[in-house]
Amino acid sequence: MTDTRERSAAHTTFTLERDYPVAPARVFAAFADSQARHRWFVHEEGWKLTEYDFDFRVGGRETGRFSQKGIAVYTQEALYYDIQPANRIVFAYSMKRDADLISTSLVTIVLQPAGATGTKLVFTEQGAFLDGLDQASEREAGWNDLLDRLGREVGGG
Amino acid sequence: MTQHSTQHATFVIERDYDAAPARVFRAFADLDAKRQWFTGPAEWGPDEHAMDFRIGGRETNSGGPKDGPVHRFEALYWDIVENQRIVYTYEMYLDDARISVSLSTIELKPKGKGTAFRITEQAVHLDGHDSPEQREEGTRGILEQLADALKRGA
Repeated sequence: MTDTRERSAAHTTFTLERDYPVAPARVFAAFADSQARHRWFVHEEGWKLTEYDFDFRVGGRETGRFSQKGIAVYTQEALYYDIQPANRIVFAYSMKRDADLISTSLVTIVLQPAGATGTKLVFTEQGAFLDGLDQASEREAGWNDLLDRLGREVGGG
Repeated sequence: MTQHSTQHATFVIERDYDAAPARVFRAFADLDAKRQWFTGPAEWGPDEHAMDFRIGGRETNSGGPKDGPVHRFEALYWDIVENQRIVYTYEMYLDDARISVSLSTIELKPKGKGTAFRITEQAVHLDGHDSPEQREEGTRGILEQLADALKRGA
């Protein structure tokens, strides 16, 4: 079958930083622990989760399938490349909307002690946004919300 | 004890090939064709190269100088659009140390009878084992090997 769509790739890097009032091990646990992860990362108002698998180890995968008001199904697939407890997580992930791949990204999360008891988190996403189907600015806004939710998770709210 | 560090970098290499997009694509998609150019220096001798070229498939290639270290490339294909685009992530190892993880996008467009080729590599270099400059230079060298292989009919 001949593919006649106009193909494009927009490459972007964005970095987000947060200071959390708990130790790096606690912040790391919110990424590694399935129950904590469900609270701040997986479940979101207005979205229905239809499939979720999480295998947090080097070479492990995370797959989530979400639908929004029956309009579209989003599939997120991640592969963990590097995990240094309480210090660093590197993973790649792709997003699909229905059958269309809309992006592939490489993410680095670095946790460092800050002050006596806190953590500085630096999130870097290097993304290839494909065929004009998604925007880096929307992705950045999405992660900004998620990192705020992570703050409420580790801060205890 | 390893001092953990990260360095993020992006480079883009654009060049033209005399061969049509279908031939350039095949040089990436077909293992026998890829073996003709995706190799280390001749003095390293033969490397071990395996590839499952489809979305979700993997590729590994390892080799190196006689006295080490072993250089190992481990890739995963995320997107393949025949004759147009290949998106993959890859790790590089020196012996057992993961020195980088990269996201690569290859884009092919017809240009006359040939191909306008572009590769974009977005990488995180880990723990100071190598540098973005070395990787870009190495990639330019590999792409020159591809040009030579295409001239030979690969």
